Amino acid sequence: MMIVTMDDVSKAYKTTTILDKLSLGIKEGERVVLLGPSGCGKTTTLRLIAGFVAPDSGTVSIAGESVSRDGQIIKPPEERKVGMVFQDFALWPHLSVKENIEFGLKAKGIAKAKREEQVRKMLVVVDMDGYADRKPAELSGGQQQRTALARALALQPKLLLMDEPLFSLDQELNSRLRREIVLLQEKLGFTMLYVTHNRDEAFAIATRIVMMQKGRLEFDGSVAEAEYRLRQV
Amino acid sequence: MPQLQRQVFLGSIVVLLLIVGLLPLLSMLFKSMIIDGHFSLEAYRGLLASRHQWVLMRHSLALSSWVTLLTLLVGVPLGVILGKTDLPLRRTFAVLFVTPLLIPSYIVAVSWFDLLGSEGLLADLLGNPVAQMTNSFLFSLSGCVAVLFTIFLPIPMLLTMIFLRTIDPSLEEAGRLVSGWFGVLKGISIPLILPAVLLAAMLVFLLSFGEFSVPAYLRYDVFPVESFTQFSAFYHFQAATAAAVPLVAVTLLLLLAEALFLQEKTYPLRPSATIGRSMTIALGPYRKGVFVLITLLGFVIVILPIVVLLIESAGMDAYREALDRAGGSLLHSLYYAALGATLLTFVGFFVGYLIHHRTVRYWRMIDSVTIFLFALPGTVIGIGLISLWNTPWTNFVYATPMIIILGYLAKYTALTSRITAAQLAQISPSMEEAAQVAGAGWFRRMVLIVIPLSWRALLAGWIVGYLFSLRDTEITMLVYPPGYETLPVRIYTLMANGSPQLIAALCIIMISATLLPAALLWMLYHTMTTKEIK
Repeated sequence: MMIVTMDDVSKAYKTTTILDKLSLGIKEGERVVLLGPSGCGKTTTLRLIAGFVAPDSGTVSIAGESVSRDGQIIKPPEERKVGMVFQDFALWPHLSVKENIEFGLKAKGIAKAKREEQVRKMLVVVDMDGYADRKPAELSGGQQQRTALARALALQPKLLLMDEPLFSLDQELNSRLRREIVLLQEKLGFTMLYVTHNRDEAFAIATRIVMMQKGRLEFDGSVAEAEYRLRQV
Repeated sequence: MPQLQRQVFLGSIVVLLLIVGLLPLLSMLFKSMIIDGHFSLEAYRGLLASRHQWVLMRHSLALSSWVTLLTLLVGVPLGVILGKTDLPLRRTFAVLFVTPLLIPSYIVAVSWFDLLGSEGLLADLLGNPVAQMTNSFLFSLSGCVAVLFTIFLPIPMLLTMIFLRTIDPSLEEAGRLVSGWFGVLKGISIPLILPAVLLAAMLVFLLSFGEFSVPAYLRYDVFPVESFTQFSAFYHFQAATAAAVPLVAVTLLLLLAEALFLQEKTYPLRPSATIGRSMTIALGPYRKGVFVLITLLGFVIVILPIVVLLIESAGMDAYREALDRAGGSLLHSLYYAALGATLLTFVGFFVGYLIHHRTVRYWRMIDSVTIFLFALPGTVIGIGLISLWNTPWTNFVYATPMIIILGYLAKYTALTSRITAAQLAQISPSMEEAAQVAGAGWFRRMVLIVIPLSWRALLAGWIVGYLFSLRDTEITMLVYPPGYETLPVRIYTLMANGSPQLIAALCIIMISATLLPAALLWMLYHTMTTKEIK
């Protein structure tokens, strides 16, 4: 089943074209990595799927349902069942780890007992069960990343969007967390669209790689095919 | 050596600030304890023993609390609507709502009197029984609260608008993935700007607590009115000072609370990579309704009072008489405001510089002193200035407009210094360091690098200094030497025996004298900023 479909999607800011008739489909359970240099339109693609911006033309569908089309947002972000991990993690500084994870559950009106159970479960999943009451400023980079992951997964989204989530971490932590993300995805089975400009990171995480250049799709294939292609270039 | 130049210069600025701002207060306190040449706490004993003082305290607290509560309840949502939604004409509305804060407070009260008073427009339209009701409402706590609400509403509104812009947009985006805008505002955006909301609450509380002209005009007894009356009507210095002491104490207490609970509670500002990106709330089907509601609010609290003054003053005769009787005062106002703004920009710039660079050891204390003086009621500063400078040896200050300028400098330096500090925070320290490495001394670095890079702060500081000096009533009313009165003081004194038409015409002249230069200066600022961006 297709989780995300983008048909002929274009987006421009003022006179600069960011996406030029981009078409892309992501199947359930895939780990797709969008790879490309800065400014190629990767983050805009994520923001279009999340519903923060509308395409100037073209259609974005989630689970077979159109969510934005030709300049209009049909479904707002909170109704798309999409989770997202931001580049700077975007953890709410005034809330504790537990409250960060709980926020979405509360907004959806889930009962307190069920909410707490889900928070506990997510804390165990990301190995953060001893840090529930800490504020984001009291966490290391890796712990912040895990918290952001737990928050994004708490509502069991159909799709997890990750916008260069390891960008600000050191090399060692970056490598360790790549493995953790893959293990977590395999364990929970969510669909993932991961954005990065780092090839090693892309190869370590993806089951499929999509390369972008100047708002266009340049390559779409398996990790082995992507490695082969990049060696040719 | 260059380091010494800097320390000596900035040290002199600090000394000037202390002489202008703190010394008068110390002199006032000292003199209030000397009766017939002997130390005595009689004035304070009288203060504590008098039942009237406790009534005043109750009145002052009730007035400030209600004004604070109402301005927050309306100002914060208004700030969200004007700062975050896709409502048309947001900027125009923001400017409209700021207008009452820019003109002398009592003019707003006069305009409401012309509408709701016993001989106001409403009385003409609806008859005497209705006018009696509205008149009683106006001359009560409720009337005072309503007038001060319209004046101080822009404070929480502006702070909400400004601080919402400092939130990292990804924090709101993360919220939007799981919640509607209402949930995001309630759970994320508003809690993140809570320190700014509390700061707004503190400012409104202190400004209402120290407000003299509106309660005096509407005959609602509060501490500043008592202090002013004791001083100017009875010339009872000790009693006036004693009535001012609770004002000083409450100001100090609130500022201390701010220092303890708010200063360290701010969250980091948005990363520079996200500047230019912000989330806008689409009002969708509510857009028209919200627009009508905001237009109505703007009309009732800003446009209607001005229209009432225009109607009341209709006819050229009133304006001719106004200019005949107060033309000189208008010129004084413009001249002192321009001079005050220039000095405020100069002193505020260097105070802002030393606060930003922490170049002197007690920089935090200096910042606190300027904020304390700003929060202090004008009547207290006025009495302090008289207490210090009213001597035969200092007549060159006391008997000249210099005393007025010193008052402006004491009260409003916080505004220009904070504007400078905020601007300097945007300038990379390496700019000045590069000039230092190139061999430039401190003065040269200031003149050739720092000041040109800070021109926006200088211009914005001058505009703000000008507006606040021009609207000042409390300090000027107490300290102006005979023959040097400003327009707000002249209007206030003419209110006792001038016709309503004359007073309305004078108020319109005062509003024009404030808003026209402000608009011109703002256009100049805007043009220069746009040019720089291009």
